[in-house]
Amino acid sequence: MGNGGAVVKLLLKLFLTAGCLISFSSSVLSVEQTVVYFALQAGTQETGTPAPGVGQTDSYLSTLETKHGALKENRQVKPKVLSFDFYKTSGSVASGFGLEIHKYEKEYNFENDNSKVNISAVGLLYGLNFYYRGDFWFPFLGFGTGNYSAKVKEKLVTASSTTYGTVFGQVDKPFYYKFGVRIPINGLGIIFTQQYISANFNVATENKPLSLGGTASYVGLYYGF
Amino acid sequence: MKIKGLLVFVSACIISVAWNESALAASLNSGLGPLEIRPQFIVSQPFLAMTPENSSTLKAGDAKLSFGIEIANTFVNTQGPTEQITKKEIDRGLTKEDFYDKNGNAGKGYSLYLDAETKRKNVKYKYGILDSLEFKLEIPFLSFDGGFMDSSIESVHSMIGISNFKQGGAYRALSERNQYDYYVVKDGEFVHSSNQIIYNVRGEPSMGLKWNLSEGGKVMPAVTLKLSYKFANTDRSGEQKLVRSGGADWGHYLILSKGFDNWIVYFGDGKTRIGENLGFASSISHEFMSLEYRINEEVSFVFQSVSQSSIFPITAASPRSTTGENQEQRNSNLSVSTSVSAFGYKFVSGPIFWETGFVQDYNNFGNETDFVVFWEMGVQW
Repeated sequence: MGNGGAVVKLLLKLFLTAGCLISFSSSVLSVEQTVVYFALQAGTQETGTPAPGVGQTDSYLSTLETKHGALKENRQVKPKVLSFDFYKTSGSVASGFGLEIHKYEKEYNFENDNSKVNISAVGLLYGLNFYYRGDFWFPFLGFGTGNYSAKVKEKLVTASSTTYGTVFGQVDKPFYYKFGVRIPINGLGIIFTQQYISANFNVATENKPLSLGGTASYVGLYYGF
Repeated sequence: MKIKGLLVFVSACIISVAWNESALAASLNSGLGPLEIRPQFIVSQPFLAMTPENSSTLKAGDAKLSFGIEIANTFVNTQGPTEQITKKEIDRGLTKEDFYDKNGNAGKGYSLYLDAETKRKNVKYKYGILDSLEFKLEIPFLSFDGGFMDSSIESVHSMIGISNFKQGGAYRALSERNQYDYYVVKDGEFVHSSNQIIYNVRGEPSMGLKWNLSEGGKVMPAVTLKLSYKFANTDRSGEQKLVRSGGADWGHYLILSKGFDNWIVYFGDGKTRIGENLGFASSISHEFMSLEYRINEEVSFVFQSVSQSSIFPITAASPRSTTGENQEQRNSNLSVSTSVSAFGYKFVSGPIFWETGFVQDYNNFGNETDFVVFWEMGVQW
């Protein structure tokens, strides 16, 4: 996508936010209040399952599979997610901004030889969130962008030689959307999140895309004040 | 693609419904603004680089004059893993052969030995031409030397378990602290080779226009377009070649901001076009996100994340080898985009304003600063 496309993408996100804010502001019933949340979550992320609607299938690992045999592991990774959110409430609805740090690492081995690939990734994601504040639970949805940094370390074995490669990469404009629920228990609470992330980067050694995102499910604890 | 299509449809509806409402609403969508810090990597210092900025502009007839200094510590040794460049080689003086691979072959792509602190002093003048149109003139003065931060940075590395003998610590332990060496090699030939300290060399001035297209409202964000232009000074004799590109550069930033009570969020997406790239990248893309928390009308804390593409273009360096990690693999990675995070404090009292903070990279691929401190102070009338 060119720079113009990126700007359009950014504008679209903000205009969608504006739309939600309009609908929310029409239901203002009580005093406005700002709420801040910190959350720590863990879960699973299927990097081989593209985010519906926005993700694209990658081909880096599948290309290696044609040369070195099937992967011994599945594409599931287990990220740790640290997030910070603030919301401006208007009665039973709220809108706000969230910042998330995702981190995971996984080693993949191949069936036919001793080839292996180690992938580690750190994502800094940020975006806009919208809440409904019920009596016992707070459902939410959100979307945003950010960046992902990754390191791919290869050791690829063939009959005649072993090749090595260490490739760094960054996804400058990932896109994610998510929904979930917070269940408050005084200041603390439990949070469940379902997140879809589009974040492919081109691995220079094979010149093929690798998905750092995918479809993720997390559960964790949060603290609000 | 269905979701993107839905976004387009919803956006179109929103624009038509919301614009009037937002134009009338009185909502605070800008505060003291993002941290106005440009990329400080030594190789990109001669070129224009777009900086994050507030979406609001000075009112017509208002003016601001400020002085700022940005001190950046950078250490990159692409020969670190093979220990081809250590204190011994630096003492005798580096040659281009030191940047060849361990078999004596000139590698493809860029190889670096950067041990420097850059001090970029800026004199900035801003003037409100109209209530929503602001003019800016900026003149930089640059110093490159060994600085004072190496010891502190190495201590912090050690404290958090990062070895200064390994990649995570940039192989800093192989070199003397607080020395100045600036060597860039491309395809086996020097592009820059300097260990002579420079002080307060005038860089090329730049000017800019910032147009606040909309202040936004309760619903819509503020929208601002910023344009910058760097004048060419073709006098690049002696040390001036390190701080002047000799070409005219220009760039833009589209900035959006939205307030949520005391919290204000800024986004920016932009690009710098480099007129005389000297063999480096011909353009650099920039994105930023800035989160401002207003303690009160006069004081804000700001967290900021900035991503930019690399000043090093993609080269023919191979990312793979049959002999373990090699020189070209390291060179190949220099073209990857980078990100930094920044934290700062902004203060305004009457006509005086003050901004200070620091910048830390978090994905060091060898093409970014290690640590930056910055400070700016000025008056407004």
